[in-house]
Amino acid sequence: MDGPSTTTITGPAAAAEPLLELQGIEVNGRSQPRLEGVSLRLWAGERVALLGSSGAGKSTLLAVANGQLPPDRGTVLWQGEPRARRAGRRRRQQARIGTLWQDLRLIDELSVQQNLNAARLARWSWPQALLNLLLPLESEACAATLRRLDLDPALLNQPVTALSGGQRQRVALARLLRQEPLLLLADEPLASLDPRLAEELLALLLREAEAPRALLLSLHRPDLLAGFDRVIGLRAGRLVFDRPRTELTSTQLQQLYAGSGERLP
Amino acid sequence: MKPAAPLLVLLPALVLVPVLLSLPGLSHGGGWDLIGQFAWAALTPCLDPLVLRSVLEGLGVTVGMALLGWAVSLGLGLALGLLSSRLIWRQLCGSAAPAELIRRLLALPRSIHELIWGLLLLQLVGLQPAVAVAAIAIPFGALVARVVSDLIDALPTANLEALRAAGAPAPSALLTALGPPLLPGVISYGGYRLECALRSATLLGVFGLGGLGNELLLTLQSLQFHELWTGLWLLLAVMLLLESGVGLLRRRWGMPRRLVLRAAATAPSAAAATAVSDAAGGVGRSGREILLLGVLLAPTLLLVGKALAIDPAALLQLQPLPPVAPQGWSAALQLPWPSLITSTLTLTLLAAGLAVGVAPLLLLLVAPWPWGRRLLRLVWALGRLWPPPLTALLLLFLLQPGVITAALALGFHNLGILGRLLLEGSEATGPAAEEALRCAGAGPRLALLYGRFSGLARTYLAYGAYRADVILRETVVVGLVAGTGLGSQLRESLSAFAWDQLAVLLAVYAVLTLVGEDLSDRARRRLLGTA
Repeated sequence: MDGPSTTTITGPAAAAEPLLELQGIEVNGRSQPRLEGVSLRLWAGERVALLGSSGAGKSTLLAVANGQLPPDRGTVLWQGEPRARRAGRRRRQQARIGTLWQDLRLIDELSVQQNLNAARLARWSWPQALLNLLLPLESEACAATLRRLDLDPALLNQPVTALSGGQRQRVALARLLRQEPLLLLADEPLASLDPRLAEELLALLLREAEAPRALLLSLHRPDLLAGFDRVIGLRAGRLVFDRPRTELTSTQLQQLYAGSGERLP
Repeated sequence: MKPAAPLLVLLPALVLVPVLLSLPGLSHGGGWDLIGQFAWAALTPCLDPLVLRSVLEGLGVTVGMALLGWAVSLGLGLALGLLSSRLIWRQLCGSAAPAELIRRLLALPRSIHELIWGLLLLQLVGLQPAVAVAAIAIPFGALVARVVSDLIDALPTANLEALRAAGAPAPSALLTALGPPLLPGVISYGGYRLECALRSATLLGVFGLGGLGNELLLTLQSLQFHELWTGLWLLLAVMLLLESGVGLLRRRWGMPRRLVLRAAATAPSAAAATAVSDAAGGVGRSGREILLLGVLLAPTLLLVGKALAIDPAALLQLQPLPPVAPQGWSAALQLPWPSLITSTLTLTLLAAGLAVGVAPLLLLLVAPWPWGRRLLRLVWALGRLWPPPLTALLLLFLLQPGVITAALALGFHNLGILGRLLLEGSEATGPAAEEALRCAGAGPRLALLYGRFSGLARTYLAYGAYRADVILRETVVVGLVAGTGLGSQLRESLSAFAWDQLAVLLAVYAVLTLVGEDLSDRARRRLLGTA
């Protein structure tokens, strides 16, 4: 399956500032650093794949990118500005960074609609947040999001435990879209899916990552790279390559996985 | 329109509305200077050697009473638990009918609070060191018996049937098949009961049955707040030491947590499964340690008994009692029953609502600050330790006596117990969902509400239902001080030697408690979805 065409503009011409910029990021680990000297820029409209064997630091990099893990050294810039220290401003920044978790992290005790609305908590007041637990709010917007992902809006009132695996996957993606993020982060979202579901989900993610949005997705199957504009290779916490997908060579891929005990598919 | 799980957790806090609204009317204006002195004294406890010595002596008596009462209740409870197990009677004589009968009979000692047992025994045999021990042992024994028999009846019987089919006689088959899987649940619950015993021993002291409680009461009444805090801080240290020791052993031996046990008491198969799987790790080592501790316990108990001059035989020497008043039973029926019962039930509902609802509310309130939880832990520990009648007395500095004052005192004590449980539960729920919401920009409070409270709502409320039934039993404790409900009437009848009134009061109390127990059982089963 082919992804959308890759006519996105990369580089400073597209916008004045990159969405996210990492400068010299280091994260200490127990015996060796989990990330060492990692610098990269993500621009609006880019779809970037993050490759590497397990333990290469992909999850750590994503955790630094979404603000979950403050780096030991280095700077994280969001739209050209350092991470805000004041709580309110920080939360507005966080609200623009959306993460699709591998374990989805849906709240089993709540309905689909309440789960979708959980993504609005950054923007909602207390009364709205409490009311949503009694009478789920913004039904029209939630229904529209579900339709966008080919889900039946009738699911809104269902508890998420009543959904199939594929439906849960899409509801998690719907929650991500309800957040209206500029940057989509996804940590191995395809790892535990069967091939058909994996391709469907990837196509949806690539479709939703049009400018002004950007996508950074970690992956360990190089055969799914088709729809991406750029590929970043991580090995033992270091950036090995960062280049347009069309310029990626099979030698580079082999070097990335060499000696890791993992074979290329 | 059905409230979602996290909202359910907050609903009980609605009782705050009537309580807060009625406070201005209840306040009698003065007393703030006393409360200020009391709070200041917390930072400046009296360190005079004489005071320290008398506090330490009192503490020793309280701990000793708790330990002995607990040990007796455990032995009593195990024996009665075996006797009231349906499974065992079915194996031994083919019918569960005797078990049902014994269960019904045990409901009576269980439904009467240890304080009433204490005061009753005090009237019957006079002030004896053994009274407090027996007062703890009787109701606790009946409680342990119920849990033990529930645990036994919930165990899977496949092993037992296999042994029986292979020709093993009933007693040895029962011991082999049920002993090992039963142990973790019993030990875990036993540890929890030891914590309860310490609280009860303190409480009994407040009512003059010996130990530190009495000194706490006297120093409070004579406004010697610095000396009061000397006792309180030491008691707090002992309680926290005990709680963390019990928790440490529970984790080391791989015993189930209390929340699991509670939830499990109504969901039998889950209980047994947890107990069995948890015990699987390191059976040899923990087995030896349990045995060692058991062996060490016996001489300790003997020494403590000797030090406290406990004489069980003294419990059998009844004092001559004054005769029943001439007007007889008709006087008992003259009591204002409707108002006594209504005020007792109101007190229960208010205190339960305060305890169950305020704990999550406070946790939400302090969510943004890392030191907030530590502060809450301390406040909750004080709530657990502080006997409710003393809180009631303190509140009387500010408020007039009545149902609300009593509910505040009782609610604060149970808040300490539920709050600790809520914290344990929220730590066991795991951070994933909360973290995801935080990363999406939700504030710390809303992330906690949506992310964590969703998962623990049902177990927490189920425990709350159980607690409400304990609170109903405890109303007697504050009723005696705050002048409300069946409790205050009970005290009057007791000191007037009005045996007829007392008998009727106890019967009414027992019926209320049993009905409450049944209601809370149903609520729990519904919450846990094991109807």
